[in-house]
Amino acid sequence: MNHEAMQELLAGYALRSLTGEDAAAADRLLVDHVPGCLDCRRTLEAFQSVTADLALDAEPVSPPETLLPRLHREMGAQARRRRPVYLVAVAASVAAVVGMGGFALTQGARANRLGVQNALFTDMTDFTQRNNASMTPVGPVSEVASPGVRECYIYGTDVPMPAPGYVYRLWLETGSEATFAEDFLPEDGVVLLRLAFDPSTYDKVVVTEEPAGSVPTTPGQPKWESTPQLAAAG
Amino acid sequence: MVPGPSLLQLASVAYIDLDDLELHRRLSQGEREAFDELYRRYGAAAYGLALRLTGQQLLAQDVAHDAFLALWRAPEAFDPARGAFRTFFLSLVHHRAVDTIRREERLRKRQERASNLEPTVGEDVAEDVVAASFMGQRRKEVREALTTLPPEQRQVLELAYFEGKTQVTIAEELQIPIGTVKTRTMAAMQKLRKVLQEESE
Repeated sequence: MNHEAMQELLAGYALRSLTGEDAAAADRLLVDHVPGCLDCRRTLEAFQSVTADLALDAEPVSPPETLLPRLHREMGAQARRRRPVYLVAVAASVAAVVGMGGFALTQGARANRLGVQNALFTDMTDFTQRNNASMTPVGPVSEVASPGVRECYIYGTDVPMPAPGYVYRLWLETGSEATFAEDFLPEDGVVLLRLAFDPSTYDKVVVTEEPAGSVPTTPGQPKWESTPQLAAAG
Repeated sequence: MVPGPSLLQLASVAYIDLDDLELHRRLSQGEREAFDELYRRYGAAAYGLALRLTGQQLLAQDVAHDAFLALWRAPEAFDPARGAFRTFFLSLVHHRAVDTIRREERLRKRQERASNLEPTVGEDVAEDVVAASFMGQRRKEVREALTTLPPEQRQVLELAYFEGKTQVTIAEELQIPIGTVKTRTMAAMQKLRKVLQEESE
């Protein structure tokens, strides 16, 4: 694919107007090419800036006076359970999160996060050697797991950011049943999560892109998923 | 009669001079006043955009509500290293609005009416809030930039952005090859990129 075709895809992506094969091609482009191509990165950023500017063509209209009080009420309810929301959901669905699973969404000093990330990476390496674990691709991330071991890692580099205001959501699917596992965001393109489940007990691992802060009830359209054969061989 | 300051405006006095980044930082720490100030700055733009896309006040209110609540619940979704807060937040509103209208196909018929919607009582055009701000100036530049596009490019851009239509749907509706939709879209985006970058320099 030449750069002109790539930039056509990036224009459609920035406008959120791609579907089917074009959407899949854009996803691949964002993972395989854009992170390493300064020209495409600049183009994408510029197109995203253009789409944000386009919003200003809409006439501003004062929202109804009831909107802010409604937000305040819900913010009050939310503030009390804001941080634990992910962990509670995980605890209810796949037992407990081990250690720092989901750390990419937590706040705190950047240096501290990097320290945690390094420690977690070391843990993953140890886990891999100790359990002879294998890697199963799930889009740009990989599931690092060993059948029969109730622990696994989700790891990837050069992972593109989701759309603004969205997060990636990890699900475990068996047949038509989906269990929410974790929300995550790449940090400098890196994703590293430790989770307490054995992927071989599920048909596949699926990643969707969902509005940040939304309640994980049912998965949306899969963005990436593990192939069942690889997961079974996992 | 000139209306007096609202409670919100009075409450935001201490925050009014802070830039968006600082407000976002404070919001991330749970400061409601920072949230209120960002709402004051972007509420009308967000609601106006949502109204233009959805064509229905209740849906527009839900879109603006969901976007602001998402900001409060997951402020870390905005990464200052990746661009301005305004870019992030209005993109968030746009994405929510597009998701909404794609879910609510039946609303499509109302969009044309909505695109010409005149503000009604209680929906004062909020230029007073933004006229003196950067957004007001930028709005003028964006509208001027749009007039530089050839009509066929502007058409595909507006169908995609303001009506949330996919490139496949646009090709079907206009009865043109999808390759032409892609070409016109990219040409429009590149033209706007050039004009708007020049304006901001």
